[in-house]
Amino acid sequence: MSGYLTGVLVVLAFNVIAAYAVYLPLAAGQLNLGIAGFMAIGAYASAFLTNEYMWPMWAAIPLGAGLAGLVGLLIGVPVLRTHGIYLAMATFALGQVISAVFLNLEVVGGAAGYPVTDYAGPYVVYAAAAGVVVLMLLVSRTRFALCLTAVKSDATVADLLGVSVRGMKVAAFALGAAVAGFGGGLYAHHYSFVEAQHFNVLLSVFTVLYVLFGGTQTVWGPLVGAAFFTLVPELLRASDQWRYALFAVFIILFMAVRPQGLVTSSLFRLFRRKAEAA
Amino acid sequence: MSAALAISGLSKSFAGVRAIRDLSFTVPKGVTTALIGPNGAGKTTVFNLVSGVYGVDAGRIEVNGQDVTHMPSRKRISTGVARSFQNIRLMPHLSVLENLLVGQHVRASSLGALLTPYRLFPNHRWKREARAALEESGLGRWADEMVSALPYGVRKRIDLVRATLAGASLLMLDEPAAGLNPSETNALRDHLKALMAKGVTLLVVEHDMHFVDSICENVVVLNFGEKIAEGPLSRVRQEKLVREAYIGTDEEA
Amino acid sequence: MLAQQIVNGLMLGAIYMLVAVAFTLAIGVLNFLNFSLPGLFMVGGMLAFGLMKAGWPFLIAAAGALAAAAFVSLLVERFAYRPMQGGDPEVPLVSSLGFLVLLENLMLIQYGSDQQAFPALLPDLNIRLGGLVIGIAQLISLALSLGLVTFLSWYLSSTAGGRRIRTVAENRETALLMGIDISRLVPQLFIASALLAALAGILFAVNYQQVSPFMGEGVGFKGVAAMIVGGMGSIWGAVLGGLVIGLAEVLSISFIGADVVNISVYGLLLLILIVRPQGLMGRAASREKL
Repeated sequence: MSGYLTGVLVVLAFNVIAAYAVYLPLAAGQLNLGIAGFMAIGAYASAFLTNEYMWPMWAAIPLGAGLAGLVGLLIGVPVLRTHGIYLAMATFALGQVISAVFLNLEVVGGAAGYPVTDYAGPYVVYAAAAGVVVLMLLVSRTRFALCLTAVKSDATVADLLGVSVRGMKVAAFALGAAVAGFGGGLYAHHYSFVEAQHFNVLLSVFTVLYVLFGGTQTVWGPLVGAAFFTLVPELLRASDQWRYALFAVFIILFMAVRPQGLVTSSLFRLFRRKAEAA
Repeated sequence: MSAALAISGLSKSFAGVRAIRDLSFTVPKGVTTALIGPNGAGKTTVFNLVSGVYGVDAGRIEVNGQDVTHMPSRKRISTGVARSFQNIRLMPHLSVLENLLVGQHVRASSLGALLTPYRLFPNHRWKREARAALEESGLGRWADEMVSALPYGVRKRIDLVRATLAGASLLMLDEPAAGLNPSETNALRDHLKALMAKGVTLLVVEHDMHFVDSICENVVVLNFGEKIAEGPLSRVRQEKLVREAYIGTDEEA
Repeated sequence: MLAQQIVNGLMLGAIYMLVAVAFTLAIGVLNFLNFSLPGLFMVGGMLAFGLMKAGWPFLIAAAGALAAAAFVSLLVERFAYRPMQGGDPEVPLVSSLGFLVLLENLMLIQYGSDQQAFPALLPDLNIRLGGLVIGIAQLISLALSLGLVTFLSWYLSSTAGGRRIRTVAENRETALLMGIDISRLVPQLFIASALLAALAGILFAVNYQQVSPFMGEGVGFKGVAAMIVGGMGSIWGAVLGGLVIGLAEVLSISFIGADVVNISVYGLLLLILIVRPQGLMGRAASREKL
């Protein structure tokens, strides 16, 4: 495989993981605009463990993910008291604060960045991303996923049917944070370097952008959205400096025509009918 | 035997306006009861207080002998009380079957149940149960449709099936017959009678007095948040206070 | 020293204040978190710069930049806001972000990605008051911002047009019943918020004498923070929030260091959201009606 293609696929893998980190809380109707902060926690925590304690990467990265999830759980409890735009802004602020804390944390290099000794090759990254996708597909087949949709769709009714709305929200938020932390840990070990500046607002915001673009009604939306956002600008490379402008125009027009995103549940139904009819 | 619903001394104010005042009434098990009264009398507020959407200011609510007055709303379903809404509140982006599965939640909320990837099994018992309940009500053919695509009358009845699957023994229905055409109304009546035969107690808010007459044994009349009459519809409709409350406001009460 | 930093903080706060008011108009009335506003802020600064480079005098260049921003904002209304009515609340966010990306890249293609020096308009005139140094340009922008916001607040509270806007903000259905022409009002609001954002961009360029295609991001996000700290939908809340965020930023830079700005500014935002989500001057949200 050429270096270029490998590079693109690795970016795709990271984007897919990030997409599911955003998707989980969004499935319950919560926009997390601070996903980059949780990635930073996973990245720094796992890098610290491999660097300072010689932990093997396969143990350090999941622990980093767990830590990000734990922070998500602890912070989610007060933050998820807010709704809608307030919640989006709270998570946005949270992401900013977390990244800024790492920027000032001298023990992990501060603003100069933090080199990581261990290295995860491209195939490890692909496999990890595939693992996340499989896990998400499994989760989407459970009652937990059904409850998240119910909470998003009508929280009052879900509550009256006995669904713990708050519990579901916190769980989805913390799990999303853990997935983000996992992606962050992997990122640190693939590029062998972490810098807090990477985990900025735009990373969070763009991840949300392609999840919404892909559509949040089904578990495939984030995958399709991430693939589209990673690959299409590459295909537009010929027009070089115009590619992001063209891409933006495309997104605007697309969302105007199809606000529910690319992949929807009715689309699936349509395909299934056709398959049955055939 | 304890009553399905026992309300005593219930009061609730919104921003100083007293929506419910010192309200007491009982719905014995198996006695289908209607809650009627002019618009704004506080009927839906009673439902909201019993289901826990609002907290009470004073009074006591018991469902099947259990005090639910201060119980969190999501725990009340396990005492057997479920409700419908005036505007049907099914989840529009889910299929009928999935809506019913949400209804089962109260009986399948352990961690294990939550994390079982049941959708991988085409014939999982949860799905079987939901399908069977649909078939029983003659709604089987809608199982895989999106809720948003269904006729109004069908949606109303799916709402009932969902409550049944939640194990409701006391079902509070907010204007079940509103907006239905005559054949849909008949289908609904048959559905409700089937539920009654199974031992479900109904508390119904309804304006259509023919409908009330056809299923309800007992009627509680509210006006301005207070109970002004109680008893069989034929007797209640003769009472002076009831006639006064309805003059110029509603149909032939 | 402290007094000087407070002055600097207020000057910066005046810029945030305008951006926050722009956001608050969009959120308070239309319930739309319009992420194209940072882009319009940048269009204000960059286009004023570009037109001046092409030989236009400052005032005409500024007017041109404002007009361009207003026009783009109408496109945002048409393509990001209007098609999304009745959908998920997150969706218009995507399209308005699309506009931010588009505007940034168009400016990047035209002027390059580097930071450019904006010409000094006023010779380095400063007022010295005791030990304080106050730049004339900054003072003018503070006065202009406050004047504009006062006018806006007066307009909203005391004119027929303002009453219409407040009715729409309160309840759309009521507004429709009262015969308010929402389809005309909405584009006007988009223009108003675009003008505020773009003006803030121009003032930023004049005060800090630098522009770049990405200048909108940092300021834009702090404008959002200012709006929330003050209380969404409240004009004077946005003013207070802008000044508070400006002060928090300048004071933490000068007393702790540039790297902690995000901790103090966004930490403040987070704290407010948890402790008092309706903001310093906002009203508590009413609960869901059944």
